[in-house]
Parts: sequence; structure tokens; C-alpha cells
Amino acid sequence: MDTPPPLRPPAGRWHHRWLALAAALLCLALAHGIARALDGTVDLANLAMVFVLASTLVAFWLPVWASALFTVSGVALFNWAFVPPRGSFSVEGHQNLLLLGTTLAVSLSIGWLMGRLRQQADLARRHAEQARQVQQLGEALRAAADPATMGAALHTVLASMSSESPQGAVLMVLQGELPATNATEAATWWGHPDPDPDEVAGLWLCLRQGRVFGAGTGLHSELPAWFLPVRGPQPERSDAPAASTTWGAAVLRLHTADTSPDPQTQAHAQALCDLLGSALHRHHLTRRTEAAQREAQAQAMRSALLAAISHDFRTPLASILGAASSLETQSDRLPEARRQQLLTQIQDETRALAAMADNTLQLVRLEAGEVALRRDWESLEELVGAVLARVRRRDPQRRVRARLEPGLPLVRVDALLLTQLLENLVDNALKYSDGPVELLARRQDGELLLAVRDRGPGVAPAERERIFQMFQRGRDASASGRPRRGTGLGLAVCRAIANAHGGRLSLRARGHGGSSFELRVPCPAAPTLAEPANPAEPDQGA
Amino acid sequence: MLQVLLVEDDPELRQMLRSALEVEGHQVRTAASVAEARALLRHALVDLVLLDLGLPDGSGDTLLAELRQHRSTPVLVISAHQSDGRKIGLLDAGADDYLTKPFSIGELLARMRVALRHRGTTLSPSITRYQHDGLDIDLATRHVSLHGTPLHLTPTEYKLLARLVRNTGQVVTHRALLADVWGPEFTEHTHYLRLYMGQLRAKIEADSAEPRFLLTEPGVGYRLADSGASPTAAAHMRS
Repeated sequence: MDTPPPLRPPAGRWHHRWLALAAALLCLALAHGIARALDGTVDLANLAMVFVLASTLVAFWLPVWASALFTVSGVALFNWAFVPPRGSFSVEGHQNLLLLGTTLAVSLSIGWLMGRLRQQADLARRHAEQARQVQQLGEALRAAADPATMGAALHTVLASMSSESPQGAVLMVLQGELPATNATEAATWWGHPDPDPDEVAGLWLCLRQGRVFGAGTGLHSELPAWFLPVRGPQPERSDAPAASTTWGAAVLRLHTADTSPDPQTQAHAQALCDLLGSALHRHHLTRRTEAAQREAQAQAMRSALLAAISHDFRTPLASILGAASSLETQSDRLPEARRQQLLTQIQDETRALAAMADNTLQLVRLEAGEVALRRDWESLEELVGAVLARVRRRDPQRRVRARLEPGLPLVRVDALLLTQLLENLVDNALKYSDGPVELLARRQDGELLLAVRDRGPGVAPAERERIFQMFQRGRDASASGRPRRGTGLGLAVCRAIANAHGGRLSLRARGHGGSSFELRVPCPAAPTLAEPANPAEPDQGA
Repeated sequence: MLQVLLVEDDPELRQMLRSALEVEGHQVRTAASVAEARALLRHALVDLVLLDLGLPDGSGDTLLAELRQHRSTPVLVISAHQSDGRKIGLLDAGADDYLTKPFSIGELLARMRVALRHRGTTLSPSITRYQHDGLDIDLATRHVSLHGTPLHLTPTEYKLLARLVRNTGQVVTHRALLADVWGPEFTEHTHYLRLYMGQLRAKIEADSAEPRFLLTEPGVGYRLADSGASPTAAAHMRS
């Protein structure tokens, strides 16, 4: 009862035909036998019904033409065996003639109706199967992140449709621009590892022309295969070259005995190819948009950096040049204390400039995604210690205090970047407040919390998010009225470093005034100490 | 008087360092490239090399390798920025210490002093005694005490501390510490180092979060504060 799937006739199709014919003949013989048995007990019209039944049954599996042939033979047999005069094809009386005529007409009608029904059922089944394939391929394409996975998904479907699965389909997808000559390495290939040169030439032709050809297509119909272009969305303008939206091509080999391939299946295969074409087109557009966005971001960054260099970097430079030139031209007239002051100023400004350069460099690299984090297991106690050692120079009154929860686990971070982050935050706190500054580390809700807290004037709610952006500075609301300087890069770098570590940096206003800059980083399970049984003996004599 | 070879391609910085070192009474030879430095090293006696990382004809690792084949001349690496990973490679390959630009002359002189104190450590007996700020470590008797009170260290803690004492004042990379204390197959087990350094700090330091002896160089290694004068203090004083 199974109709063969569109392209792949079941193995031993002829074997099946013989079986169907034998079953039909058996049916006829059975009908004849039953009619024989009933002969004499029921009238002729009832006997005719047995043959009608046989025709109906046979119509379940025979094609319409065969079932019609069978019906005619059945009616002839009935006429020969049961309609008087028996043993001849002549018919006695109008009544019998009418009976024969009606039996034939009814049987033929039933056979035709059955055939139609079966065709429709086949069609529905095929449509359902094709819809399922389209849906599955669509899902696979949406889930795929790169053209290679997309191509593999289509190839799997095409191969399953081909008569020579899994080598019955070859798919090629261009890796970039369409090359001037047919270069194998310009495309990615799926399918036959060593494809037929004619087929390869056909694929390139199909790709370049963006047209389908092969069996039953009206173009190179003598070929036992379909050549299907993988087309993207068609261009609006009809004069645009077709190849400009063709991403690849596929060949689907047909069964050689399949003399009349189904145009609907071909359309289906083409639809699948176009599905890949659209997906590749979307992928290409997304990539282009992303590249454009990156370029725009990089452009914005360059402009911002230029602004920083031309303005913010000039301020400390002016201070250095001023101090140095003053020492050069006025040295003998300056008191010793003033000379020392100028020398200190040069050194301080140089260090500030170096920090700004470090922040600028780090920010450019982090924003461009160029920094490969050098993560290692680090001890917060050590990192905090290193930060304190560095900031003490700017903290002669020892305003910075570290408070670390005992027994903190190791963290997996880039030590240089994390110390830069903490140093920026501490510098910021020293710069924008006058009281004590607290550097605190503790566990909280399964994360590690690192906070730098001050008792400064705080940051206005409207600015709490803005200050993390590049080249933004908090309004100078300090009561001390000390001039504040900087590139406004420090906090942007801090946030970029936090993000690169999968952490979060935020600002919280403290209860009794002041700010708390809080970094939360994931706290992975630190490796256990599997102490080697025999630590190497240190070389005492070295 | 020392013979110093200064390998630096920037003429201004070269001139400035040269005059600063000459004021200290050293004789300075300068080279602007690895090739030039190699030629000079072949013909001149040098007591100390200052090697910049960003040279036009290479990062100086070949120079260091050649130098280390015959001599134990101290080599101080000058790196352009903190995150330059090449300096760690050079330190592991036998360079004595590093400085990151910009640095003060005070820092440079302090590093040079420490490096010279360790000069010839591969030939002559190394430093076996460390006495600084109440901490007394005697490698000959394996005795460690803090303000006169003996400290009890585990064998691994002691090995770690002893390794740092032998390079007092100089940075010792993570890799070098792991290889010398645990063995060459443990060079990636940084967490051992973190945990044992934490234990050592707890025993030796008054405030573990702001150590005075066991200094951390993030991303590079550890440094036992110089017993002559701590490098940071020296830098501060002279800067």
C-alpha cells in the first residue's frame, strides 16, 4: 500500500508490481470461487456484487489504469461464467445487459475514485514530509552560527532525498566573492569526496547563472540529476545579475530509471536550497552590520582619544614644561624650597601622565577586544597589598585602609588588570574625598565583593551611571574646592576590566554620605592543594 | 667604578641615563641595537647590562642567551609597559630584574645595587643570611626568627622563603619559585604558591594586607624586600 517516496523508489519496485498483480489475480480467482459457490442460491445481480467487491479491493493497491483493466477482465469473466448463455461472451436479454453495464460502470467509478483518493493521500503525505523537512532545515539554519554548519544541515537533507544517499548530493557554498575562474578552494564542499568533473563544472555553471537545470527542467533535461542554485533573496531590480545573490549550488542525483522526475519535488529541493541562500544572506548582512558597528565604535573611540590626547594630556605636560622651564630660566632667583617643589611637581605630573597612558592603552585594547586576559589563580590579599604599596606614594597621611575577610578563596583573574582597576578606584577616592578610604574584600551571595569606599561628597544620582562612560568626570562638588584633573578614563577602564572578567562594577551611595564603588566577580571553586609527595629539594648551594 | 652597558634605542633616554650613571661614577658604554650590544660584549668587559625590550632588531632574548652561556653578568630588563609579557620570559631565562618605564633614577640605582650584590651568584656562595626589620633568616642553620622569637615554618614554607632570600631584593618569577620549590612539573600550579605565600605572610607580616617583607609583583612574581633599604622606600627617598 506504501507509495514510494518521490525520488527514491523502494528497492525491488518490479518485485512489488508482480506481487500486486498476483494479489489482484488471487482476488479475481477468489471472487470467481465465491460466485461459483453461491451460484443457484442467489440471483445474478447478487453474484455481480461479488465481482464489484473484488474490483473495489484491488483498487486499493493497483494504479488506476491497472485497476480499470482488472475491472474489465472481471466483468468479462463474470459474463463468460455466469451470465446466460454461460460459456460465451454473448448476453441474453436486456436485463442482463443492463446488469453487466451497471456492474462495469460502478466498478470503474469506484476504481477511479479510489485512485484519486490515493493520489490525494500521497500528495498530502508528501507535502507533510516536505513541510517537515523545510521546518527542520529552517530550525537547523537558525541555530547554526556559521556557514559551515548551515551548509552541512542542507546537505544532510538533500542527501536524504537523493536516490544514491548519502553520496547522492553534492553541495558547494562560496567562501567569499565569486572567483573569476572555477577554483575549488574558493568554495566549501559537502558530499562526494571526489566529485565527477562534469558535475563540478555543472555546479559552477549553475552558481554563475543562478539557474536550475537538469532532468525535467527544460534545460539540459538529458541529465540524470538536478542542478539547483543556492539563491539569496532576489534583488528588487530585475536587471541585477542573478549570480550576485547566488551563494552556492547543489546537485541532486536522480535514480537513473526515474524517467519522469516529479517537478514538485524539484521545486521542494529548490526551496530548501533557497532557504540556505536566505540564511547565508542574513548571516552575511549581520556580519556586515557588526563590522560597521565595530568600525563606528572604533571611530568614536579614536575621536575620543584624540580629544583626550589633545586636551587632557596637555594639562600635565604644560605643568611639567612650566616647572622645568622655570627651573631652567629662574633657577638662581628661586628659593631652594620652591625649586624642590617644582622638581616634585615634575615627578608627580609624570607619574599621572604615565597612569593616564596606561589607562588609555588598556581601554583601547579592552574595547577592541584585543586583550587576552592572563588569568591565573590570585590571592586578593596579595593584589590588595600590591595596590597599597603603589598608592602609598600619593597617600602620605595613610588614609587608605584595607579590610579583608579572613580566609578569602583564590580568584581567577588577570592580576595586572585587577590591580589597575583597584588602583584607579583608590586614586579616585583619594582625589574626590578628604577623609578615610576603605578597600574592602569579602564574600557575598556566592560572589566576591571588592569595594572602595570614601566619605566624600558622593555622586549625584543622575551621574552615577554616566561617570563610567569614557571622558566623563563627576561634577566637582568637593567642599575643599581642590582642582580635579584626569582624562575621565579611569572609571571607564575599571568597568571594561570588570566586564572582561565577567564581573560587575557599580556605584552605591553610602548611608551617611560618600560613595562605594563595588566590584562583584564570580567566585569559582579554587583548585585543591594536591601537595606533591616529595617537593623537590631546593638547591642549597646555588 | 662599574662598567655598565646600556642598550637603549631612544637617544634622549640613553643620554639621560648615561649622564645619571656617570655622575654616580660608573663608566657607561651605550648600544642602540641588539647587534651593537653583542659586538660590544664580545670586546669589552661589562659589569652590568641595562637592556631595553623594544629594540629595533629584537627583544634581546638571544643576547641574554648568549651572555648567559659564558658569564653571570647581571642583566636588568627595561620594559615599556607593565603588561609586556616578554620581561617574564627574560626573567625566566636568567635576567636579574626589571624596571618599567617611566622609572626614577633612584629606583634604577637601587635595582643595580641589588643586582651587583648578587653578581656571580652562580659561581660564588650566595646570600645565606637575611636580617631586616626584626626578621632574621639564617640559611646556614635553617633558623628563622621574628623580633627574637623563633618562627616555626613547614618544610615547604621554609624552602619558599629560602629561595626568596637567595635573591633578596630581586623579583623571582612564579615559574622559578614553583620549579625550585616543588619541581619543574609544577610550574603551572600557581595556586600552591598563593596558598603558601599566604601562610608565610600570616607568620611573618604584621599586616598581611600590607606586607613589608614579602612583596608581590602582580603578574610577575615575588620579591623579598631588600635588606639594605627596601626598594620602594629607596625609590621614594630619592625620587
